[in-house]
Amino acid sequence: MADEKRTLSPMDRVWNFFISVKLAIVTLIVLAATSILGTIIEQNQPPEKYHKIYEDWAFALMDRINLFDMYHSVWFLLMLVLFTVNLSCCTIDRFPKMLKVVRNPRTKLDENLEKTLSLADRWKKKGTLPEWAGKYGEALSASFAKPKVTEVDGQVHLYAETGVASRFGVYVTHLSIIIIFIGAILGNVLGFKGYVNITEGESVTKVPVRGGILMQDLGFTVRCNAFSLETYPSGQPKAYKSDLSVIDGGRETVRKTIVVNDPLQYKGIWFYQSSYGQAGGATARVMAARKDGTHEDMLSLAPNEPVPIDGYGIVRGVNYDQNFQGNGPALQVVVEKPGQPAASFWLFQGRADLDRQRADSMIFSFGGLSSKMFTGLQVAKDPGVNIVWLGCTLMVIGLIMAFFLSHQRVWVRLAQGADGRVEVVLAGSANRNRLAFEKRFEKLQTGVKAAGQ
Amino acid sequence: MHTVLLKVTALFYLVGALAYLHFIFTLNERSAKVGRMLLLIGVLLHGAGFVARYFVAGYTPITSLFESLSFSAFAIVCVFLAFELRYHLRVLGAFVAPLAFAFSVSAAFLPGEVRALAPALNSYWLPVHVILLFFGNAVFAVAFGAAIMYLLMEKELKTKKMGAIFKRLPSLDVLDDINYRCMTIGFPLLTLGIITGSIWAEYAWGSYWSWDPKEVWSLITWLLYAALLHGRMTVGWRGRKAAILAIVGFCSILFTFLGVNLLLPGLHTYTNLSG
Repeated sequence: MADEKRTLSPMDRVWNFFISVKLAIVTLIVLAATSILGTIIEQNQPPEKYHKIYEDWAFALMDRINLFDMYHSVWFLLMLVLFTVNLSCCTIDRFPKMLKVVRNPRTKLDENLEKTLSLADRWKKKGTLPEWAGKYGEALSASFAKPKVTEVDGQVHLYAETGVASRFGVYVTHLSIIIIFIGAILGNVLGFKGYVNITEGESVTKVPVRGGILMQDLGFTVRCNAFSLETYPSGQPKAYKSDLSVIDGGRETVRKTIVVNDPLQYKGIWFYQSSYGQAGGATARVMAARKDGTHEDMLSLAPNEPVPIDGYGIVRGVNYDQNFQGNGPALQVVVEKPGQPAASFWLFQGRADLDRQRADSMIFSFGGLSSKMFTGLQVAKDPGVNIVWLGCTLMVIGLIMAFFLSHQRVWVRLAQGADGRVEVVLAGSANRNRLAFEKRFEKLQTGVKAAGQ
Repeated sequence: MHTVLLKVTALFYLVGALAYLHFIFTLNERSAKVGRMLLLIGVLLHGAGFVARYFVAGYTPITSLFESLSFSAFAIVCVFLAFELRYHLRVLGAFVAPLAFAFSVSAAFLPGEVRALAPALNSYWLPVHVILLFFGNAVFAVAFGAAIMYLLMEKELKTKKMGAIFKRLPSLDVLDDINYRCMTIGFPLLTLGIITGSIWAEYAWGSYWSWDPKEVWSLITWLLYAALLHGRMTVGWRGRKAAILAIVGFCSILFTFLGVNLLLPGLHTYTNLSG
């Protein structure tokens, strides 16, 4: 061993380092251990929050080693790179060897092989070699797998195998991890994630991404037509929905009501219902109609905000009462006309007829308060996601191959004995789940022995 | 009614655990039979309770801490009974049944009313994701029981103080084999659980992986068991080392399941679980 080590070139040493399973185990455990940090230290919070928790020196140190965004830090990514390189090297090193073994199975049960197999049975039969080789071959085909027949030195060897795929499970699993990483990298490089609030009736064409540092152009417009909230009797939200329209090239191309767990997708960009809230204060809806019937205006009065009406004056909503003088909801407005003192009066909701009694060229009717809601949307584009799903599927297939399949091999050797009888050896082995194979082998033993009787 | 049913099963698991403990000390066959019978009745009632609750609530009732703890106990007993049926390892009951009792009794002290479902949980992925993971966890719980038993027996063997009882208990090799079997079933289940969670997250949150504490802790658990599997398959970690890692892995599962929700802030905290 010592001599071997001395003759190794530096390249070989590097290679040996990367193909070692010990490195894999160490990397797995170190990844697991360091990952804990990011769950104890809340990630990606504003600096002020960290300053409240940590001393200045601790903050500076933690910030320096990226502990506040550790899963995207250089050192964590380097560990993932090491992990991937290790995984790839192990596969490159072992896969061809495995392929060679599988392609050229040991079809002959020679004595060396026989010694290594714990499951074996020997017996003698009267008759000829070809006769028994045929019978046992049929028996194997019927209860195990079609055997390969090799004749050498006057001996006949039968070799049958099942579950070869079991040998490849580990490679499929390792490959799946690399595919998932490729998908994740693609998503990070070519995709984006953002969050945007859209008030009912309004639209956006851009969304802030990377914590608002950049504005991502969508390439189309998204409008929130309406938002609705359904609650349980307790007041807890049960479902919230946004009626969204996509406007592309000047016309509405898609309209969909989204809820949590049911997003909208357009041109590879996904819109997820994420949150909601009230957009600003409430506004009063007031219809202003000229008495002569020539013109009508729907006014939206924010508290104390003056709203001008052409050729008339300025209107302000100044006060609201849910039950003014016992007559139901009412809005107090102030009207200022040029050159006249300001007039203040109350408008009762849905009672336009009452305002008609006021001597004025304009009749106001109060339609009630409206409070607009905004919908909070998570916006994401991830071109790598399907590659990630491909990797996930492969991983499950690989694990099933590795754990639930077993490469079972059975040999039969027939030789002409000195006493004129045929000497038979039956032997088998399995790479997984040996207990189950033992049972199968026992059955095979009785089945094969009984063949041709 | 169903809440009472879910809480009452704790009693069956308690008496079942006691019967198994009696069995391990006396090797009285009848105790093991009684233990199994009690666990079987308990788990059937428990299952019936969950089915009833499903119809009352209108969703898979594994959303509150009460329901989660209760379902954990249910899954553990199911998996244990399946293992017993397959490998006839009755002594394992003395280590696994108390665990099921611990989960169900802690559930029994929590308020068990049916709650309104949070919008994010209203998805077909809820039952798939949660049931896969809970059964995976239950398989690892059995591995944990076998590992504890392994270490205890190994200590007894080393000090040569072992009584006659231990001679009639399963060999260390059999326990080690159980550990391996659990890994081969639990690991794919854990993997599937994480993957289905990712698919769900992609639909609900717009991101299949957000480094949320629950996600990270499930990854930590996955990495630990992956390390254990590689150690076992290639470097030859068997017996003691494998047992210790199975215990560490299960602690990580417990933290992923309970610690994250109770101690760390994150996306998976939908309800005030402690209440």
